[in-house]
Amino acid sequence: MAMQSLLPAGDFRTTYAADTVIFPTAAGRYAAIAVVALLCFAPLVLSQYWLSILIQIGYLAIAALGLNIMVGFTGQISIGHAAFFGLGAFTSAYLSAKLSVPVFFSIPLAALITAGVGLVFGLPAARLKGLYLVIATLAAQYILLDFFSRAEWFTGGVVPAIAQPFRIFGFTLRGDHRYFYVVLVYLVLSTILVTNLMRSRDGRALVAVRDHYLSAEIMGINLTKYRTLSFGLAAFYAGIGGALYAHYQEVVSNEGFTIDRSILFLAMVIIGGLGSVMGTLMGTIFMVLLPEVMEWVSALLRGGSIDQALALRNNIAFLREIAIGLVIVLFLVFEPDGLAHRWRRIKAYWKLYPFSY
Amino acid sequence: MTRTHMLLRSAAVAVLFAATAANAQVSIGHLADYSGATADVGVPFGQGAADAIAWVNQRGGVNKAKVNIDTVDYGYQVPRAVSQYKKWVGEKVAAILGWGTADTEALTGFVAQDQIPYISGSYAAALTDPTGQSNRAKPAPYNFFYGPSYSDALRGMLTWAAQDWKSKGKPGQAKFVHMGANHPYPNAPKEAGEAIAKELGFEVLPPVQFALTPGDYTAQCLTLKNSGANYAYLGNTAGSNISVLKACKTAGVDVQFLGNVWGMDENAAKAAGDAANGVVFPLRTAVTWSDEAPGMKTLREISKLSDPSNAAYRPVHYVAAVCTALYLKEAMDWAAKNGGVNGPNVKKGFYQKKDWVPAGMEGVCVPSTWTETDHRSTLTVNLYRIKVAGATEAPLNDLIKNGSIKLEKVTSIELPRKAEWQGW
Repeated sequence: MAMQSLLPAGDFRTTYAADTVIFPTAAGRYAAIAVVALLCFAPLVLSQYWLSILIQIGYLAIAALGLNIMVGFTGQISIGHAAFFGLGAFTSAYLSAKLSVPVFFSIPLAALITAGVGLVFGLPAARLKGLYLVIATLAAQYILLDFFSRAEWFTGGVVPAIAQPFRIFGFTLRGDHRYFYVVLVYLVLSTILVTNLMRSRDGRALVAVRDHYLSAEIMGINLTKYRTLSFGLAAFYAGIGGALYAHYQEVVSNEGFTIDRSILFLAMVIIGGLGSVMGTLMGTIFMVLLPEVMEWVSALLRGGSIDQALALRNNIAFLREIAIGLVIVLFLVFEPDGLAHRWRRIKAYWKLYPFSY
Repeated sequence: MTRTHMLLRSAAVAVLFAATAANAQVSIGHLADYSGATADVGVPFGQGAADAIAWVNQRGGVNKAKVNIDTVDYGYQVPRAVSQYKKWVGEKVAAILGWGTADTEALTGFVAQDQIPYISGSYAAALTDPTGQSNRAKPAPYNFFYGPSYSDALRGMLTWAAQDWKSKGKPGQAKFVHMGANHPYPNAPKEAGEAIAKELGFEVLPPVQFALTPGDYTAQCLTLKNSGANYAYLGNTAGSNISVLKACKTAGVDVQFLGNVWGMDENAAKAAGDAANGVVFPLRTAVTWSDEAPGMKTLREISKLSDPSNAAYRPVHYVAAVCTALYLKEAMDWAAKNGGVNGPNVKKGFYQKKDWVPAGMEGVCVPSTWTETDHRSTLTVNLYRIKVAGATEAPLNDLIKNGSIKLEKVTSIELPRKAEWQGW
């Protein structure tokens, strides 16, 4: 396994199955189950505002997991991820509204279609490396965005696309309290799928492509196939995230899929820690909560004594933006390996106290 | 902190809560863009709405309680607008003064579900169909806005343009071109504009695109020149329109520019200088800040709340925002007398009168009528022309005073309330 394990020295495994287990310790397994169980009770306790934050974290995390497959595990950078997120949203909206496909099926179907489009963009990109690849994904971003603006049969053009609410066995799951469960189920499934991918043969091939593509090619790993595959997989998860976003808002508009969002996804993956599923989740939580915390801080400042003293007034909004950027930069300076690494260090500290290693 | 101190503090807090509860507070949300992409027009509009509500509170508020307005600068970022909206739903606001096309479109579904009237700064025609009867737009029962929609404003301008072409005695067909970003807000009236242009006998040229950000649009101006366009609609906000006007002046393009309500104002005229001379654009109100009308007295009182010296010149957006906020206030007054100030009652409050002008704003706000099936509040398009003479470096106040920048009324077009024009 690529992750550092906290198993004590002398620990050994005698079967391959034992080596590729997802939770090396029982505590980790129970903790994960406990977290999911606690989240099931969240709609009973939390307010609509916090539920909407959690739902937002949910669908963005799924899309970020896809980007993590591409950036963290295969080592390819993409700044076109928001376009695939948007494609998933529009496709699911189109399928559910115009073709009357039940939403339960339109979400995975939209993800598959987005994966297909991702494969198409992945083919030329698979031969490029580094900065050239970045520009190719930038092209994907703008091509898809322009397509959304022009294809009125698909996106509705001026009138935003309508997405039907999620319906299952006759129950309509709409509103934050109910839709939360839909997003939770998809998030748990996606996390399990991605973690499982990484311990499978294809997952190991992707990591090999990232670590040393020349050796991987010599070993017999088809570089083009796996690079294109990672594009397709990233687009698949972006499609699921986008479809969930569409059925939450019930209205999909062009405005939410600009390059700003692509960079936001990249920030989530990088701040969380490249190549770590847990890290991606933490990175998403960080990036969603950061503007909210800054908004809360600026609301506290507004009208207060510091505001009067420095005559800030409207400038508080600009300071908030500066603060968000500063936090991200400081974070990358002091914690370049991301939140996942910091979490591992914290766990190690408690595990090994009073020793330092 | 000693025990007694703590007890005193909690007692004080409890008394405070009891006091506010007794007054049956009315809360409204206010989304403003003071720092984002549309801040150049968002600042005066937000200021106008905030001042109007402050003035309402000064005179006792609604339902004998102050209106608690929560102004949030969301920087034109939709996710922030959505999470702010969720917070407000939890606080049970009676209505929301929204802003841009982005957040309005994202929230149409939610406000209809949660039954909270959303009065937007977006005038997209897709928001004018509460029951979906037009089959052109999704039902938006809780969306309102004050002023002609972008589509109706463009229809009005093209009606004037056809008359203008005939009165100038020019031979043949006039050429019309739609210019704007490939984006929901500029594209909103494109179909409607091109349809009515064809009806009126214009030759409709392929649309020209230019981004919502300021930039170098010489290429677009040369396209305009080569195609021989006579009337060009500028669909973007003031910032990028200024770039186009300046570039076209340099390129020597002879075209009558038609603006949208957000595309031109006094500040934009100052920035563009004599490139803005002659631009025709619609006004949501019957007058500008420098005109006289009975309602101007109320307007000046409201302006004093954020400008005690009464020196500031208020752009057209400020006046429109004051009208918008005062319509909401009167709808809430009606709701207070008819079952309490909550979302569904405020919605009904908007249907209270025909040809409605808020008290104290006679001659300023255009008479508006909202009905259960038609949220097109007005089909009167007041067209004004910008006249710029000379340099525009001086402060706006001085330029208006010495007549360097003038907004002169061209005409007022009364569009027929056609059922087939609703929703697009």
